[in-house]
Amino acid sequence: MSRIGAIISRFKEVIVFTGLVLVSLIFISNGNLSQMGGFRTIVIGGIGWFERAFSWIPNPGALQSENRALRQLNLQLSTEVTRMRKAMIENERLREMIEFKKKSPNSLISSEVVGKTSIEMRNYITIDRGGADGIKKGMPVRTDAGLVGVVLGYSQNYSIIEVIRNRNVKISAVVQRTGYNGIVVWEEGEYFYLNNIPSSFDVQKGDVVLTSNYSNKYPVDIPIGEIVDVRNDPSTLFHKIYIKPFVNFNTISEVFVIQQVPDPERTRLIKQIENYLEDIEKQ
Amino acid sequence: MPRFFERSPREKQIIKISAYIIAAVTFSIIHVVLLDLISINGLMPNLLLILCVWISISEGQLIGIIAGFAIGLFFDYVSGDLIGTNALTKMIAAFIAGYFYREGKVRQTMASYRFLLAVFLASIGHNLIYYFLYIKSTEIDYISFFIKYGLAESVYTTVVSLIGMLINMPRRELDR
Repeated sequence: MSRIGAIISRFKEVIVFTGLVLVSLIFISNGNLSQMGGFRTIVIGGIGWFERAFSWIPNPGALQSENRALRQLNLQLSTEVTRMRKAMIENERLREMIEFKKKSPNSLISSEVVGKTSIEMRNYITIDRGGADGIKKGMPVRTDAGLVGVVLGYSQNYSIIEVIRNRNVKISAVVQRTGYNGIVVWEEGEYFYLNNIPSSFDVQKGDVVLTSNYSNKYPVDIPIGEIVDVRNDPSTLFHKIYIKPFVNFNTISEVFVIQQVPDPERTRLIKQIENYLEDIEKQ
Repeated sequence: MPRFFERSPREKQIIKISAYIIAAVTFSIIHVVLLDLISINGLMPNLLLILCVWISISEGQLIGIIAGFAIGLFFDYVSGDLIGTNALTKMIAAFIAGYFYREGKVRQTMASYRFLLAVFLASIGHNLIYYFLYIKSTEIDYISFFIKYGLAESVYTTVVSLIGMLINMPRRELDR
């Protein structure tokens, strides 16, 4: 008996250690964080009080980390806002175009502008539709806002559009309110000019100018722009009329090709007359 | 010194135990409440472990084991940790530190590198078990996790325990 007592006395640390390890393991195996007894609830309540009492002490490390996280979040949100704004504008534009396509009497081919070229004051755009989509040379091109130009040439999948902002282009136009006919031209800058309207004719600022039925190149009644200024030049018999185009050629991104080609018989006749007049001028 | 101020061994014992209890409660609160203020990259010195090592070296292995268990159990309640986790690990730390106990040379041990070595080894033993229990139900690689956190925390704890060593330095001669 005394020998057992001596052994216990000698290894008491190991025995106690083993016993307490077993107790700890029993605690761990039975442990459940969700089961908080009364004592533990009081302790955690007390700790909560302490935490609140010391919460005024600033923690530079935590503040720096929080600051970094907020900056990152700010950047992400800012990018997101920009993307959403862009999507909203695009959505609105596409909605308008879909609405226009539904209402249009002509058959339209919608396409995206993939390139812009400017050669000596002649402006061209490239679209992602070509012969494979039914596009032919001479087809007019417009947006929901107004006239853009005509198809100058095409490949299988792409077409080049001659934009009306071109010195060589002359458009037969009509003032919507009064029905007076004139010729719309562009020289340079933001505005077009409506020529051949006599000074005595009633033309006002705000009048809308459309393509007329005198033109074989463009279909009738396509909006071109709005008159923004009418000046009287005493040296001539005609008004100097400034038109602001409805189409913003700087931001144009989607267009419709109208599936309508000019009447070949009419084109041929015009060509013959032009040649005849040139011959007379030469003589 | 008048005899009035002399304390009996029993009174001294009570004062010592009270000091340990106050230290345990204070360190537990510091751990839980002021954790962010003293942590470096999420690591903080284990003040309770230093206390367990201190008790084990001062009072012997048996007392150290019991104190480690009690302190750990209290901290489990305070910290919201799984009950028994800190009781087991603090007790293991105290058990390891108990091997550094030398009767009659307590202050010399406390004032020397042996105290730092005891803290470091006890901390390694503590963290080996603690992090094993901590990540056992996750897919985290134990070895890399221990090296990253366990070892780093042991070094940090050892560095902080230098304060304990420095406190004891002026009193090291009292053993002789």
